[in-house]
Amino acid sequence: MDPITFSIIRHRLFRVVEEAVITLKHVSGSAITNEGHDLMVSLYRADGSLLMGGVGFLHHLTSAAEACKAIIRRFEGNINEGDVYLLNDPYTAALHTSDIYLIAPIHHEGVRVAWSACFVHVYDIGAMNPGGFAPDAADIFSEGFSSPGLKLVDRYELRQDIWDTLLNMVRSPEMVALDLRSMIACNNVARERFLALIGKYGVETVDGACRTLIEQSEMLLRQRLRELPDGRWQSRQYLDVKGEISKVVLTMTKEDDRLIFDFTGSSPQSRHSLNCTRWASLGGLFAPLFPLLCYDITWNEGVIRPITMIAPEGSIVNCTRPAPVSVATVGAIQSVNNAACSTIGKMLAASEKYADEVTAVWHANHFAIFMFGRNQKGGDAIGILTETFAGAGGARSFGDGVDIGGEIPNPISRMANVETMEASFPIRYLFRRRMKDSGGPGRFRGGTGGELAIVPHDSPDGGLHYVISGKGSAFPMSDGISGGMAGALNDYVWVHAPGETHNADRFAQSLETVPGEKQPISWGVYPLQGEDALYVRWNGGGGLGDPLEREPDAVLRDLREGTVSEAAGSEIYGVVVQSGAVDALATERRRREMRAARLAVAAQ
Amino acid sequence: MKQRISETLEFRGEIGNCRICCGKCGHALAPAGTSWKPLAVLSVVQVGQLPGASSAVHPGVVFRQFCCPGCGALLDCETALPDDPFLDDIVAAPTGSK
Ligand SMILES: [Zn+2]
Repeated sequence: MDPITFSIIRHRLFRVVEEAVITLKHVSGSAITNEGHDLMVSLYRADGSLLMGGVGFLHHLTSAAEACKAIIRRFEGNINEGDVYLLNDPYTAALHTSDIYLIAPIHHEGVRVAWSACFVHVYDIGAMNPGGFAPDAADIFSEGFSSPGLKLVDRYELRQDIWDTLLNMVRSPEMVALDLRSMIACNNVARERFLALIGKYGVETVDGACRTLIEQSEMLLRQRLRELPDGRWQSRQYLDVKGEISKVVLTMTKEDDRLIFDFTGSSPQSRHSLNCTRWASLGGLFAPLFPLLCYDITWNEGVIRPITMIAPEGSIVNCTRPAPVSVATVGAIQSVNNAACSTIGKMLAASEKYADEVTAVWHANHFAIFMFGRNQKGGDAIGILTETFAGAGGARSFGDGVDIGGEIPNPISRMANVETMEASFPIRYLFRRRMKDSGGPGRFRGGTGGELAIVPHDSPDGGLHYVISGKGSAFPMSDGISGGMAGALNDYVWVHAPGETHNADRFAQSLETVPGEKQPISWGVYPLQGEDALYVRWNGGGGLGDPLEREPDAVLRDLREGTVSEAAGSEIYGVVVQSGAVDALATERRRREMRAARLAVAAQ
Repeated sequence: MKQRISETLEFRGEIGNCRICCGKCGHALAPAGTSWKPLAVLSVVQVGQLPGASSAVHPGVVFRQFCCPGCGALLDCETALPDDPFLDDIVAAPTGSK
């Protein structure tokens, strides 16, 4: 095939995915989809192997491949043009029940030539808590309906009995119906555009390009791995739920053109729902691998071949049924992602050629806070605080992490406008802004996270409730690199004042000035009623290098912008400021003393 | 020869007999292919006492800062509970073939 045609087909395949993503966003009515971009669309080969990974949450690229394969195993011989299949069982392929996969075969002249697959986090899944995250679920049976594969659309005809049954098991069925319809529409667009491509170039040419694309990705990744030094790098993540600590431990070994991710040493599966299944762990480690090692390589089956994962059965990263997993996406999966990001970053740091690609860990602490109740218009409202997608960039070898700069596993993640949230829920934001001292200190600091506080506003019921599955407030998780420190922790504080106080400062501009008793929370269901407030802050990215080597003027700029406190400027960065300017001599002296103090530890 | 290990460490010496050294002052820490952290100066910082700590920070969690005994440069930092081992990163010794 001539290289021009090959290149055109490659780009057209990516455009197929992009247009399908746009369809998904435009049809779905949920903020989590069209504002937070908690979604994914990808194309798969006829055998279910990944052909063209799309944007959105990258954890899903490999899991949806396994979902296609599970559908093939179950339905082979009865897979027809115009079918759409649903799969959301985490023990078959999905990450958690509320991330539903809708998978559709693409047929050309009666022959299956590809699959398209997509997911959104549906409005509700019928779990014990609204919104799908069920922090107190004891097993998967309390986490909503889960299907290892069913046919939702049969030869272009919706199966009404299945449809009605699904919607009978969820809250706000009209919103879930919209989510499902958005995914059907998305798959329809993917099919039409894929067939248009075949119409233009012919089925053999497109098939040949797809096969070459996979071979090319494998060849390019193996070539890149051979350029990187051999070695072994480790990472460790702590997860805390109600005082019970679990660990995700990773040893990544690179040998010639292969990478092995070994999670031996990770904790046994938890009774809490932050566990993840094997397929979820695989997705978790690929999420940083795609952008960090394959930024110029098509994300497909070829990238998967050089990678091996070892995940001990019965552990928090490969739990066994019926362990609860509804919090996996912000729990063990994200820690797998963080650990892989850390070890890949360290491997890149060992290479002269790839030193510019080094990054500390980005936004390591998702939090799932789903509000539920009646909104100001009297309708039901269930929805996530999308600030969890706002993220924070890790420091790079050439500069600071981007403040509130998104996250590695989802290149298009973002948060909703304050006004969107206030229009959808009976709440008011007291503030939302960058969080001081949240970026991990270093020669280059991590990007800051943020902080916010909300209060009930204009609610017919005096407020609402929320389900919180919030890890990351006990242990820092956005690891730094090469001496850089981790980004600051998350924090979740329920401020509750008795109703009779009636003196709440409704325009407080900091946690300290919100009146009431402040109680750290992280797991369960809590009220946002009457005089209550909810304060949330999310982590910054990890730092890179020694903070004592940060340019003093950069620290001064941080002080002026309020992203670093005077205490941190002095105690961590060793910068002395006099009359609004850096005192260079005093700074040099202070930094010398701080280095000496480090060595004095050894002499004690 | 010199060859990079990380932003802060490098191999120095002859192929087949090189050492893991501080990239800043050249202080030799350990033979290539072995663990260097036990030979660095360890300074332990309580996360809860740093600016930016949360209201729920675990009382035991620390940053382990591994510093160069020669110049005090910070070489690596890891998050840990006291009983956990050092993270052990080992870059293969240079062979001259790459
Ligand atoms: Zn040194």
